[in-house]
Amino acid sequence: MRYVLQRLFQFLIVFVIVTFVVMVFTRIGSRDPVRDLAGGAVGEAQIEEVRQDYPYLDKPLVQQYVYWLGDFVTGDLGRSYLQSQEGIDMFKQRLPATLFIAFWAIVIGLLLAVPIGVYSAYRRDGPFDRIASVSSFGVISMPPVVVGVALLYLVVVRFGYFPTVGASNYVAPWDSPIGHFKNFFVPALTLGLGLGSVWSRFLRADMNLTLQSDFIMLAKAKGVSPGRVLWVHALRASVLSLVTSVALQTSALIGGAVISETFFGPKGIGERLVFAIQGNDILIIQAITAVLVVGVVIANLLVDLLYAVIDPRIRHMRQLG
Amino acid sequence: MTDLLAAPSVVPEAAVTVDDGRTRRRLPLGLWFGIAWLVVATFHAYMASRLPWVRGENQRVEGAGRYRIGPSADFWFGSDKLGKDVFARCVYGAKLSITLASVSIVVGLVLGGSLGMIAGYFKGWVDRALAIVIDSLLAFPALVVAALLIGRFDVLQASDIQVAGFGFEWLTRRWSIAIVFSLLSIAPVARIVRAQTLSLSEREYVLAARSLGARTPRILFREILPNLVPAMVSVLFTGIALLLAAEGALAFLGYSIKAPDASWGLMINEARVDIDQYWWATIMPAAMLFMTVLAFNLIGDWVAKRFDIREAAI
Repeated sequence: MRYVLQRLFQFLIVFVIVTFVVMVFTRIGSRDPVRDLAGGAVGEAQIEEVRQDYPYLDKPLVQQYVYWLGDFVTGDLGRSYLQSQEGIDMFKQRLPATLFIAFWAIVIGLLLAVPIGVYSAYRRDGPFDRIASVSSFGVISMPPVVVGVALLYLVVVRFGYFPTVGASNYVAPWDSPIGHFKNFFVPALTLGLGLGSVWSRFLRADMNLTLQSDFIMLAKAKGVSPGRVLWVHALRASVLSLVTSVALQTSALIGGAVISETFFGPKGIGERLVFAIQGNDILIIQAITAVLVVGVVIANLLVDLLYAVIDPRIRHMRQLG
Repeated sequence: MTDLLAAPSVVPEAAVTVDDGRTRRRLPLGLWFGIAWLVVATFHAYMASRLPWVRGENQRVEGAGRYRIGPSADFWFGSDKLGKDVFARCVYGAKLSITLASVSIVVGLVLGGSLGMIAGYFKGWVDRALAIVIDSLLAFPALVVAALLIGRFDVLQASDIQVAGFGFEWLTRRWSIAIVFSLLSIAPVARIVRAQTLSLSEREYVLAARSLGARTPRILFREILPNLVPAMVSVLFTGIALLLAAEGALAFLGYSIKAPDASWGLMINEARVDIDQYWWATIMPAAMLFMTVLAFNLIGDWVAKRFDIREAAI
């Protein structure tokens, strides 16, 4: 418990630093944040309206930050005057698409990584291992943009089944599972391929070490079936680095989601963020980056806690320390 | 452990069991490919204007039917909708992308390397304070922050704001990209160097140097830094690969080099909507980007494996 609190405190500091720096970034080159927020070339009346809503924008940066943090924590996520939209409505509209892309990407990544990683380690240096190793290295070296182009050309254009560039829409799975699949499969695959290759390499490396350890030998000697040894005994002991990598990849996943949303379509939070950056919609930029950072931080925290669940040795060490 | 080019003093276990020198000497095929690709690509990129088989960057090929023609003996990669030679633009794009990525990663190596060395060597509160800085930098969604900063730098350049009497007219896209990429590469480099320094500073020769009365700077620069070189070389190559990919992504969002100049991401973005009409204008730069990233990754990964640097391996 003490450990968790310690981590939580550390993450709070990280959150404050990151959101403050992002706020400073949005003010670079800007003389009057109120005017930026109102949308640049607008009349005096609108500027006055913004000034009434956000009276703190002409104060020093640190004070502005404190006001903003207070608003953020109490659920006021800012307002987009450009789009005449409350921040909270914007999240309701855009966040589900991004979450689904990220979720399916992780699912696809794991579906690829676990079988490939386990089997490569089991038949080490065999033909399957070699092919998997070369192709996963190749896929890792593909930037999301390139994967997007390849999928676009090989899948979307050839078979008229999936919506083409930018034509995907958000369809909730509970409304229409098929429509959901059509709209989300390709964007999720764009990200999932890369994740799957990274994870399969981690898993293979970890698994190779595990399979040489004594307890695997013991399990085999006891007569546990090879499948059970592999999938239960060895896999459980080998997922640590996989789990670490899932956390480390969250930041990359966000970047990838931005690309994939812009490329294929279901317009999510990443696409909205790029739009906000173009329009210098400062409160929306701050709100979205803050939410993304919270997401990264929570993912890291969860992984930290998962360690203890997966590996009893870590649990004991933390209880002692 | 790889069984490659083992120096006598550090014969890896695998190489001992191998019975002859055949496998020990042979470098992996991938490494050869990586080196060959980089040599050809950089040669083309930096000599482009002197090579007779590369057309001008924005030179249009006039005449009917010169638009959107497919790959042929004359136009190796075809021509785009403005009638520009895709091959020539790929070559010119290479120069800009590779230069930006390498310059940024070198700056990142110097700054991040110093931070990582200090954190790893002094430990204690210095380490903890720097760890928070590094963690914060790593928590930034990199691509988004890059887009934000470059967008703001554009505004800064256009404005007449002066700091200490200096304006920001020089802050073109190239400079902003270089600055942003350098900033982004600090944290990952620092993390790897810190981990390496932590383990190196426990070694006997560091203890020996310290007990002989060597001062801290001497230990850092003469004992630890030389041993960090393999890790740094590995990071250099994989880092360039990452930054090339990032440049592609930024260009895709419209935050890289602007239109008349060429960059791979920009070319992909320009032509992707019409991919069903003329695939070469999108696929070719994408293939170039992929091959170059692959080449850098192959070299970086080989270095990491050769010197057994876990943190830097892919």
